[in-house]
Amino acid sequence: MGSVKKRVIIVGGGTGGLVLANRLPKDEFEVTVVDKQPYNYFLPWLLYIAFKGSRRPIKREITTLIKPWVNFIQSGARSINLNDRYVELENGKRLGYDYLVVATGATVDYSKIPGLSKVIDLYGNYHSDEENAWKVWRTINNIKEGTLAFILSYERYRCPPSPLEGVLLADEYLREVGVRDKVKVVYATSYPRPYPAEPMNEVVEPILKERGIEVIPFFILDHIDADKGVAYSVEGEELKFNAAIVIPPHIGVNIKYNPDNVLDPDGFVLADKDTNRIKGFDDAFVIGDASALPVAKTGVTAHLQATVVAKILTGGYARNTGRTHCPFDMGYGLGTFVISDSTHGTVKYPPNRVNHLFKMAFASSYWSMLKYPELWDPLMEAYFNATAPEKLKNIYG
Amino acid sequence: MSQGNRITVDARGIACPGPITELIKAYRNAKNGDVIEVWATDPGFEPDVKAWISRTGNQLVELRKEQDKIIAVIKVTAKK
Repeated sequence: MGSVKKRVIIVGGGTGGLVLANRLPKDEFEVTVVDKQPYNYFLPWLLYIAFKGSRRPIKREITTLIKPWVNFIQSGARSINLNDRYVELENGKRLGYDYLVVATGATVDYSKIPGLSKVIDLYGNYHSDEENAWKVWRTINNIKEGTLAFILSYERYRCPPSPLEGVLLADEYLREVGVRDKVKVVYATSYPRPYPAEPMNEVVEPILKERGIEVIPFFILDHIDADKGVAYSVEGEELKFNAAIVIPPHIGVNIKYNPDNVLDPDGFVLADKDTNRIKGFDDAFVIGDASALPVAKTGVTAHLQATVVAKILTGGYARNTGRTHCPFDMGYGLGTFVISDSTHGTVKYPPNRVNHLFKMAFASSYWSMLKYPELWDPLMEAYFNATAPEKLKNIYG
Repeated sequence: MSQGNRITVDARGIACPGPITELIKAYRNAKNGDVIEVWATDPGFEPDVKAWISRTGNQLVELRKEQDKIIAVIKVTAKK
């Protein structure tokens, strides 16, 4: 019995799922990745489709990104039974496991905000898929006057800097094409300030002011009327727009769980914040956007959580540090990173050109990083150590 | 004044802006007359909740510091 490999099922072939799959030692584990579709997406690039019209491909086939010994099943998962330890596929087949890792990410739900579907239809969004991102590109090319409103509609969304990245890149583009003096750019957020974390807000708020971008804080979107061009807050405040780009509500994907009390009301999976174990289970984990943890929904989070789970599965000791390292494009070739962890607040890190180039270099290296951890892990570990928040705070505050 | 539900939001141990995010989540689902009690350990929560009250027009029933946490009791009154 000693040499029988442990069966690990990873549901989801996104960033977290593939980082983990490629790190589990092949002599100890039989790893199977299950995904309903064949591709791994580099979702951060939706931003550049939307605001630069980038034609760079943003997806690659999962089969080209996994080590030769990792199995891939292209199928949706209908349900997951945590008590009896199996994943039931769409075709009814049941896959038993010794360890389960849920890495199903998040999806968007327009129905949470009455009127939102029509707004998305007209103007697009850059938080779901390529088609909607291309709609945003058309929106910013079509608007010649009036108000372009960016609205953060819900507290759970992918990528904390992304709303302001869109705002700042749109501002840059509208200036480039010569209509910025006639188009008002407005950002409405439910947070008390434009960027949720105060130190980074001190960096970006003056930039927004300098670029003439109006911010409406404490705006909780209640419903939106595409025909009238008005967004309404829960207190009845009205925001008029000629075009609206909404960061939509995000929810967990539609998979039935047994027991069903492991899900929060939005369908995210409840987990232990240190180990990512699913609430109540030793042998099941959830990583990345799919978890209900109050941590940022980002690729870095998924990647780091995957490395923690990999260590735990191989019998080691590892805990999440809550580290964030979010690239923040501020337009005009400038960028910074939102860096923090659970014991250190966010670094007040001003933008520069090098950080923006790092973001671009990372985007180009993404798929290599998924497939060749042996090459990239030592580099990334050194980079993360060098840029640890406690170290950067000494320089930037 | 209608007697609404009382909701407790335990945001202890969550770093800024976590507590205000959890408050907003509870507020989104609440009705006028409901009372939301938030517990937080992050010191940034105090100015945030005061600014939120001032901006939205909801009622701050109580804001007090205990040894191990900040407690804010809010009555929802401003929803349309």
